[in-house]
Amino acid sequence: MSEDKVIVANKGMVRADFNFWVGRYLDKFYDNLENKKVIGNKCPKCSAVFVPPRKICGKCNVVIPLEENWVDLPDTGTVVNYTITPYRVNDRTHRKAKNLLLGMVQIDGSDTSIIYRLLNIDPSDVKTGMKVKIEWAEKTKGDPSDIKGFVTF
Amino acid sequence: MEKVGIVGYNQVKLHSDANYGRYEMIFEAVRGAIDMAGLKKKDISTVISCTNDYYDGRTISNCFTVEVGGGYMADESKVEMDGAHAVLYGLMRILSGNHKLAVVWGGSMPSCFPYHSTRLYETDPTWERPLGYVNDITSSGFQMRSYMEKYGVSSEEIAAVAVKNRKNAVKNPLALAEAQNSNIDIEKVLSSGIYADPVTELMVAQPCDGVAALLLAPERQALKITDNPVWITGVGYSQDAYYLGDRNLYESKSMEIAAKTAFESAGISDPKNEINVAEIFEAYAHEELILSEAIGLADKGKGASINSEINGDISINPSGGAISGNPPCATGLIRIIEAAKQLRGEANGYQVNNAKKAVASGQIGMCAQNNILFVLEGGN
Repeated sequence: MSEDKVIVANKGMVRADFNFWVGRYLDKFYDNLENKKVIGNKCPKCSAVFVPPRKICGKCNVVIPLEENWVDLPDTGTVVNYTITPYRVNDRTHRKAKNLLLGMVQIDGSDTSIIYRLLNIDPSDVKTGMKVKIEWAEKTKGDPSDIKGFVTF
Repeated sequence: MEKVGIVGYNQVKLHSDANYGRYEMIFEAVRGAIDMAGLKKKDISTVISCTNDYYDGRTISNCFTVEVGGGYMADESKVEMDGAHAVLYGLMRILSGNHKLAVVWGGSMPSCFPYHSTRLYETDPTWERPLGYVNDITSSGFQMRSYMEKYGVSSEEIAAVAVKNRKNAVKNPLALAEAQNSNIDIEKVLSSGIYADPVTELMVAQPCDGVAALLLAPERQALKITDNPVWITGVGYSQDAYYLGDRNLYESKSMEIAAKTAFESAGISDPKNEINVAEIFEAYAHEELILSEAIGLADKGKGASINSEINGDISINPSGGAISGNPPCATGLIRIIEAAKQLRGEANGYQVNNAKKAVASGQIGMCAQNNILFVLEGGN
């Protein structure tokens, strides 16, 4: 806010932390990530394979049963899209010196893509269609950060 | 569809850092619309507002805008999407047959809250949000790259949209001053700094402070209020999948469905030739191309090859579009107001000749996940 703003800035003084239960499908997904394994699940109607797995196929509007239709997937995939940004999401006032390189990666055998950092790729070399594989976190915790990012191989 | 008329409108001047509060800004917009139509507080029978609890910093935030928005002791409700969605709600209230005048207003003040942080709250807290990689900034880069690679469109062609809209904004006295630029060219847009590659800073519709208001009335009532109403003859609305990785970002399926519905209702079979003016909510320059193709104003991948200047093949965003100023919760509503101005012959300085039929769009979500399209026609 500019210095001559006449209104009084009020910080609000409220902090509201939420807890979210990830649900049974993501719970199983994260248990597998902790063991450095990727799983998806397949729609019984249209056969689309989802990563992360989910209960409902939105297109078919059917339930994917919790006990069935799981698909073991490899840790490899294809860069289908990428972007580079100097911004941290919550701060557009400062451009960071080191750009963040993000890829949308379609895990082999799945029909959706997931968004993670591309780690050992120079921003000037990145191309869609590149084959990449998961670089796992040294110490996995059973959450999205278990995938540290993707690297070329 | 029964005819519903736009009988008044008003928008405050957009600012990146307005030197007055939301409360005053809302009153200025709403009271201005009521005054324009020559009406009084007692004539208002329903009020639909569009704000967002996160943007307002309080829950059920319409409780604090009751007095200034004209909702005191009136039928009142809120839409937490884009202002264009609030117009749909207002339209439905009129079509219910229970109301003679609907006030629809929307807007917010991002100079007072961390806009991009609130956008991060759109993402899935159990999957994407903890890492923060998926957000409105990065998603714009994915969307533009997808469009360029699918159709072989160059970044120069997309920069040209930003040039057109920033030049059009110069003629629009209510546009954001920072968006108005008569000396801009493609080179300046491309060298304005990376926002989310390939999107550059000047391709972005900058979130800013502002509020707009619109009045709707059923046909008979509309003709009593004004000699120059604008009729809503069609509307369509659809939304795409939640996760970005599930979608084809180079096209807008949801806008295709919205447009099909709206044009069927309005009896329009050849939008390229029947529509004179399009006011499209483009959160980034490339979205003007993606959305105008989805509406059917250009072939897929060919949005950049039509002349969309004022009085070109189809005048797209003569007001400067969202790039001329993007007040969250008001931008789509402003598109409808700007289309109405064109049809009433009130777009001083950027008037399209012989504007008879127009479309106006609103959107919400990452990469325009959710789209709404209105067809408007002038004349009584």
